[in-house]
Amino acid sequence: MSAVLASMDATFRERLWKKFIVFIPYLWLLLFFLTPFLIVFKISFADPVVAQPPFTPLFQNLAETSLLEIIKELGFFSGIASYIQYLSISITFDNYLYLFEDSLYVVTYINSVKLAFISTCFCLLIGYPIAYGIARSPQPTRNILLLMVVIPFWVSFLLRVYAWMGILKTKGLLNGFLLWTGIIDQPLELLYTDTAVYIGMIYSYLPFMILPLYANLERLDIRLLEAAADLGARPWRVFKDITFPLSMPGVVAGCLLVFIPAIGEYVIPALLGGADTLMIGRLLFDEFFMNRDWPVASAVAIVLLMLLVLPIVYFQKRQNQELLEQQ
Amino acid sequence: MSNDNQTTKKQPFIEIKGISKHFGDFVAVNKVDLTIFKGELFSILGASGSGKTTLLRVMAGLETPTEGSIIIDGIDMTHIPPYERPVNIMFQNYALFPHMTVFDNVAYGLKKEKMPKGEIKSKVAQMLELVKLSEYNHRKPDQLSGGQSQRVALARALIKQPKVLLLDEPMAALDKKLKQNTAFELVNIQEELGVTFIIVTHDQEEAMTLSDRIAVMEEGKFLQIGPPSEIYENPRSKFIADFVGNINMFEATILSKQASKIVVNCPTLGGQHEIDFNGSIADDIESITLAIRPEKIMINNQPPSSENTYIKGIVEDFGYFGNLSIYRVKTSDGNIIQVSKQNRYRSERIISWDDEVYLSWEPSNLLLLTE
Repeated sequence: MSAVLASMDATFRERLWKKFIVFIPYLWLLLFFLTPFLIVFKISFADPVVAQPPFTPLFQNLAETSLLEIIKELGFFSGIASYIQYLSISITFDNYLYLFEDSLYVVTYINSVKLAFISTCFCLLIGYPIAYGIARSPQPTRNILLLMVVIPFWVSFLLRVYAWMGILKTKGLLNGFLLWTGIIDQPLELLYTDTAVYIGMIYSYLPFMILPLYANLERLDIRLLEAAADLGARPWRVFKDITFPLSMPGVVAGCLLVFIPAIGEYVIPALLGGADTLMIGRLLFDEFFMNRDWPVASAVAIVLLMLLVLPIVYFQKRQNQELLEQQ
Repeated sequence: MSNDNQTTKKQPFIEIKGISKHFGDFVAVNKVDLTIFKGELFSILGASGSGKTTLLRVMAGLETPTEGSIIIDGIDMTHIPPYERPVNIMFQNYALFPHMTVFDNVAYGLKKEKMPKGEIKSKVAQMLELVKLSEYNHRKPDQLSGGQSQRVALARALIKQPKVLLLDEPMAALDKKLKQNTAFELVNIQEELGVTFIIVTHDQEEAMTLSDRIAVMEEGKFLQIGPPSEIYENPRSKFIADFVGNINMFEATILSKQASKIVVNCPTLGGQHEIDFNGSIADDIESITLAIRPEKIMINNQPPSSENTYIKGIVEDFGYFGNLSIYRVKTSDGNIIQVSKQNRYRSERIISWDDEVYLSWEPSNLLLLTE
């Protein structure tokens, strides 16, 4: 009997230990992700005021006596009960309504999605062949090629964007080269245009596309490709029927890794884009620091988050359903 | 299981002429010649690294040979890409497309031929019936057992009715009981469809049960090509004798050579033996290997009544396998002879450890090996 109890105790302890281990990352997310999110969420329902902090509080005590004093007077429970009676909760949806009233915000959202989407497509088009090439090259070359993909990370992101300014500006490297070769006779207006933003985005996010794709393609079983060829598939068909469908998890991971940060990107449109390059990241910055309208800025952030999270949740649900149906 | 009546027609169907394949400095296949006949079940038997899989891949078109040519049914295939060859391969571990159902896997070859959908459906259904998988149409490969996967792979490779089917270690991943059944099924399917099968395997039992002819391969070359019984009973060299089945081999000295007879002295096997020998032997060779397979030696508690020579020994080790027992007998000069014995009687007292035993054999069971 005691042995049974002891073993139960052991499994119980084991379970407790497992729960504890799982709890740590949850705690981390709770502290550093959920808490700031809730604060932003709260602010998005407040009114802006010229004060410190620049928004109205969610709860206001109309009785103007502190909770502690009331508890002292009336005892703990009735103290809290009467305190709650004097609390006023002020929630306003004006900030969200404002986002839809002013077409600027809608246009900026659409523009951000468009920019991020096109950048993601280009990253996929450029990144797929690169990842495929790396995965198919012999082992020593592969490591060197991978290193070359990762090396730009060792230079500050900001510096690299500044370098692109140097390349793209009217009297910059690119125009100098093109003029020298005689391809053009007037310098191109590249910097401070959407084209420059695209170049900067694709350049910056390409590694995030290549790495998950490479991780996937590297594991691809060559014999499957040989089997398809053996059964009469020409190289292009082999790619279409076998390689690409099997690399879908890598494609999805790469696209999410590019699309999500790209949609909220601030630095690249701010440095390379023109005044008319409307992106949500820039808008957020302006609302927070130029207009000091924290509630509207918070609402912008929350809508952006919903815009990103809801489709992803939807797709994941559908994927799970498909998996269940197959079984 | 061989069907000799077919091979006697003897029209060369696949001709491999001086094929070599180099990988850098490494020579995987070294100037190999081979002729395979229509409808034959041919095995290439070799240890890993012998070049057998490389040769198979060259036939499938997955590797380009460094030199030499391949002719299938009168057409030079040496530089034809795999997707245009009338050859299909069944891969080791099957290489089923994991994202496709059983039906789509089998139908793949036909879809590439742009066959009408209705026709594909009926052909696939037919093929799945042949391999007894009709119920598994909509399963994905990861929902199949090893034996089922193997049959899907077979169906997928056969659906295009190739002139030649190449099988790379077709049964290596199956357990023993399943292997035996699969071997029979494979031979039945082959006979039904009349497709030429070329099987690559490291398993000599598999090669024996499946094939009409076997080629033993080592270091990129063929050592011997012939029917299973010939490879087993008349191995050309010590390597083949040892690789195909078990064999006892002892050094012997040549006493005299005649036209078709050789007299040798082998102390371990009880002295002088006169053996029929048709091969040629260099004059300066004095020692030779005398060999005998374990199942061709009789083991007894008493001296045999026949006039055959016999030797005495002591059982040093003994393994009971139910249908047979395997003995390791130590002779008077300290050598070990392996003997296997059918357990033919239920009530028989089993010869066991440390028993004194008498070993005898038909003289014709002795084999001379020069290489």
